[in-house]
Amino acid sequence: MNNILELTDLSKELDHFRLNKVSFSLMEGCITGFIGVNGSGKTTTIKTILGLILKDGGSIKLFGKEMTEHERDLKNRIGVVLDEGYFYDDMTLKEMKNIISPAYKSWDEDVFVSYIKRFNLSLNQKISTLSKGMRMKYAITLALSHHADLLIMDEPTSGLDPLVRSELMDLLLEFMKEEGKTVFFSTHMTSDLDKIADMLILIDDGKILLSEEKDQLLDTHAIVKGDNKLLNEQTRKLFLVLRETAYGFEGVTSKKSSVHQQMSDVLIEKPTIEDIMLAYIGGSKDAI
Amino acid sequence: MLFNLVIKDFIIAKKYLVFMLVFAIVGPIFITSKLELNNGGFISFVVTALYSLYILFNTVSMSEDKYKGSALLCATPYTRSSLVKAKYLFICVLFICSVAVYTMVSYIVPELLGRLNITNIGLAFLIVTVFFGILIPVQFRFGFEKTKFIAFIVVFLTPFIFPPIVEWLESNPSLNVTFSLPQMLRGWLPFVLTLLIGLVSMNISIRIYSRKNL
Amino acid sequence: MKIIIKNSSDQPLYQQIKDQIKAAILRNELAEGELLPSIRSLANDLQVSVLTTKRVYTELEAEGFITTKAGKGSYVATESQELLAESKRYMVESKLTEVWEMARELGINKDELYSMMDLLFEEDEQA
Repeated sequence: MNNILELTDLSKELDHFRLNKVSFSLMEGCITGFIGVNGSGKTTTIKTILGLILKDGGSIKLFGKEMTEHERDLKNRIGVVLDEGYFYDDMTLKEMKNIISPAYKSWDEDVFVSYIKRFNLSLNQKISTLSKGMRMKYAITLALSHHADLLIMDEPTSGLDPLVRSELMDLLLEFMKEEGKTVFFSTHMTSDLDKIADMLILIDDGKILLSEEKDQLLDTHAIVKGDNKLLNEQTRKLFLVLRETAYGFEGVTSKKSSVHQQMSDVLIEKPTIEDIMLAYIGGSKDAI
Repeated sequence: MLFNLVIKDFIIAKKYLVFMLVFAIVGPIFITSKLELNNGGFISFVVTALYSLYILFNTVSMSEDKYKGSALLCATPYTRSSLVKAKYLFICVLFICSVAVYTMVSYIVPELLGRLNITNIGLAFLIVTVFFGILIPVQFRFGFEKTKFIAFIVVFLTPFIFPPIVEWLESNPSLNVTFSLPQMLRGWLPFVLTLLIGLVSMNISIRIYSRKNL
Repeated sequence: MKIIIKNSSDQPLYQQIKDQIKAAILRNELAEGELLPSIRSLANDLQVSVLTTKRVYTELEAEGFITTKAGKGSYVATESQELLAESKRYMVESKLTEVWEMARELGINKDELYSMMDLLFEEDEQA
């Protein structure tokens, strides 16, 4: 599978925050979840990819081409859903569409109309009157109506009820059915990713802590519980985080097979993505 | 593409367009009759045009500031420089509209308003361009909120500052003498200056906006 | 074809899926030349990553169980009878090895093991 997007050593100094040599790549045909707590740098990274925030250093390559040099061409192939939408709220859906659509070379009005119908949106409605879920659906409609190859979304599920969230996830899977499509979306709700993500990238404090296949991550990581007696200098090293009480220990490991070999009589459980995320964030904090 | 971005500004400002149209008709008549000016309606036109353009421009800027729509537009293939160019084009179109409205009114009620000649229009365009030529880059640089206060002060000073300046210019024949250019060229000079100032200002704005984090 | 993923299993996901598809082919549940689901739809149905299903297919192809035609999809390999027979034997052999090791550890001798096997066959015949 080809790399659709390649970030290399992306850096940016902002007033109270900085991106610290962010590097990762997105594979064609994959849904990649970009996770991290609020304020970890997800939006800054996405905005930098899109050229809304200017990078200080590093490179952004899309479809093999440098973003800064082929910005317009490349943006024709990207569908964008920004957090909060960034719409002119006083406009109607139709007016907003009429502004966005001429920007794209391959805008497809039929696709647009079919999504509008499917989501029961009315074109003469003002954007300000849309509910949060409707607003997101409208944003997706705008993002998917020009046959984009890469869909970039910033926190598309935040503030949505579970039903709309699962609708969105289904929509993404539908989008992925076509060959060569790629999705990149940020979220702080890891439950969104359990079902649909192929790859996970974890960012914290402007640094990438993890970039891996989701299933492999879940295969190699585990929650381990057991008697404190089992902990010694060597076995402690197997854990990203470890919580000890008088009754026993509980920890998250990234070396499940080593735990199997070195520690008998422990309870090994499958972790959630959230467990893993928190373990890494907690782990990096401990190191500081 | 540029055209669509200008349309966007008109859609944002549409609520105020009718109001501004009424103002553009009534304004010059009111000012001329109140101030009893006798200069062919030039002053009243400049003041009205400047006011209405500023209010519409400000309405659009306020909306941009509130909704940050330009961030979404910049994430599409729209370029930053076309967003800036569209702003200048918007002002141009509005100015042409004000000239059209004023001329129409002056034809309907010639006893109240004098007609504009090409030099008047050129001079008015120059004044408008100087004003927005400063305002637009300042706004791109400092943002809407900060610029608002600067601009309000400037706008409210215009009725006091501009008439004396223009009257002084007109009553001061020595200035006219310095233009030893043929009449024809002298008429077009304001347009040339307008174009120059407009282009310089636009380039400055483009440069400022290209470095902005949205 | 039935594929069940055990969350409690120690085996990696791709291994579980791969083994079960292989088993289905060996049992002839998946016939020769039959079209397999696309990696995306299999991934969606099993709620695993497309990278996992891709890996499953890549390994099954390397082992000769399936063939992939570009743009068309993956099929159960046709010219694999010999291979299938071979791998059937191999699968049983590997299980028997486990049994043999366990028997040896627990001190069960050859005759006892054989008679256990005989008993199983007899029960099967009776049923």
